[in-house]
Amino acid sequence: MNTILGLGFILLAGLFSARLISGIRFPAVTAYLIIGILIGSSLLKLIPVEILNASGLISNIVLGVIAFSIGQNFYRDNFRKIGKSVIWISVLEACGAWLLVTLVFLLILRQPFYISLLFGALSSATAPAATVMVIREYRAKGSFTDTLLGVVAWCLIIFAISLAISQAIYSHRLAAFFLIRVFLNSILSILGAFVSGSIIAILLSYFSRFIRTQAELLIFTLGCVLLSTGIAIWLHLSVLLANMFLGAILVNINKSSFSSFEVLKTIDSPLFLLFFVLAGANLEIGLLPQLGLIGSAYLVFRMIGKVTGARLGAHISNASNSIKKYLGLGLVPQAGVALGCALVAKSDFPNIGSMIFTTIVATTVIYELVGPLCTKYALQKAGEINIEHHQRI
Amino acid sequence: MRVKEIMSKEVITVRRSAKLKELLELFNKFHLFPLVPVVEEDNRLVGIVSFRNLIDVFSPYHQEILKTVPFLDEQEEDIFKVELTKHIGDLLIVEDIMETKFISLQEDAALEEAFKLMKLHLKEEFPVTDETGKLVGKIGIFDIIRRVFQEKGVI
Repeated sequence: MNTILGLGFILLAGLFSARLISGIRFPAVTAYLIIGILIGSSLLKLIPVEILNASGLISNIVLGVIAFSIGQNFYRDNFRKIGKSVIWISVLEACGAWLLVTLVFLLILRQPFYISLLFGALSSATAPAATVMVIREYRAKGSFTDTLLGVVAWCLIIFAISLAISQAIYSHRLAAFFLIRVFLNSILSILGAFVSGSIIAILLSYFSRFIRTQAELLIFTLGCVLLSTGIAIWLHLSVLLANMFLGAILVNINKSSFSSFEVLKTIDSPLFLLFFVLAGANLEIGLLPQLGLIGSAYLVFRMIGKVTGARLGAHISNASNSIKKYLGLGLVPQAGVALGCALVAKSDFPNIGSMIFTTIVATTVIYELVGPLCTKYALQKAGEINIEHHQRI
Repeated sequence: MRVKEIMSKEVITVRRSAKLKELLELFNKFHLFPLVPVVEEDNRLVGIVSFRNLIDVFSPYHQEILKTVPFLDEQEEDIFKVELTKHIGDLLIVEDIMETKFISLQEDAALEEAFKLMKLHLKEEFPVTDETGKLVGKIGIFDIIRRVFQEKGVI
């Protein structure tokens, strides 16, 4: 099969399977992953090698686009609206999962420090899609739901920072290990992303006055996101952070910038589809049996870390009882960003990437199945699902 | 030619505390739902409501922050099937549904600029403000086209 035929096939198969699976109320992401696994390198081998080899490229682009839109959340008005508890819970649940998974991998599973750290960083991500789907499906409403949504959005920001730190440590693992040096490198990588994002945001804002049509706006915005992604890769900065800062600065300095974010939405859906199908296709099923211990440790300790961290954050910020008890469970789903980063890791570090990647995909599939149930349980316990309504459906 | 020379100066506005029911009744006799500026007591423009925001009422949960999260299955609610409580007209107020990120024009802006922005952002009308951000009028794409026809001597 040639490359173009392969692309057409992937898009159509993805669309079809998403429709099929929506009948049993699963998110489209799950369908893309499953179709990817089916037609991927382990089973039917229907995806051309050229496309598989481009996985790293596609995920970098998609991550850039995702991070850029997440940057919008840094709009100054949003800071005022977001409560203290959201920030505490987001920071602590992410750190909880990160610390616990890193420590377990390092001390119990005896993995090298940098691998433990990468797993730790990946574990701090939460998938908004699954969580939001449950909230919408059951029409949940109330302060618990508000807090949960706030935390989910902020989680991504904290995830990007923790990943940048892990990458800084990874890239210096060969040098003698000095804590200060690693710390400086992390700061440098974050600052570098900030500077690069700011400069491109200022340029984008300035030159946008010459843009006349939607088509030009789309080309211009996409060009700037790719520019920022490319510069981040070139200078070894975090792609996520650089684009997040680009979006964040832009939304604060240019009042008509929301058009730039909106225009990207017109093209991102096929990119996302491709990205998830490729994530599934890259899964090496042969590796799965060996990953039993690592995978289950990751599954269990990520969950414990999130729940404990969220509970601690809720206590510190004096949140209500239901938030203290159940919010962590609502954060169990994982996908999207973690998958993308694992895909990048796979192409960047071929020797360890496969293991990380396969673990993340395998656990993502499990989390995709279990996560929504956890979220639903949490919402039910918090008393914000209208059961009567649900049963009528 | 400046925006203020051809804009409509009499604009129907609402306050952010107006109920959804009042908003719908206000335009009962109109052919279409126009762009409605939301103003404070001192006439400062704080938001706009368009028919899009009315459709959002049918989505069970529509939070600002969610619009920015990728991978959401953006299924539009089937408005024919959604069950709404009949009290929603009193429960929702304009502030709940209004758009706070929007484009407005300064009254001194050139017509060419206004037309360019309409094309760029795919909008058909914009609210117009003075330098202090107070609403002074509204301009639509038809106002501009009519003006150009006039200049060419067609009408």
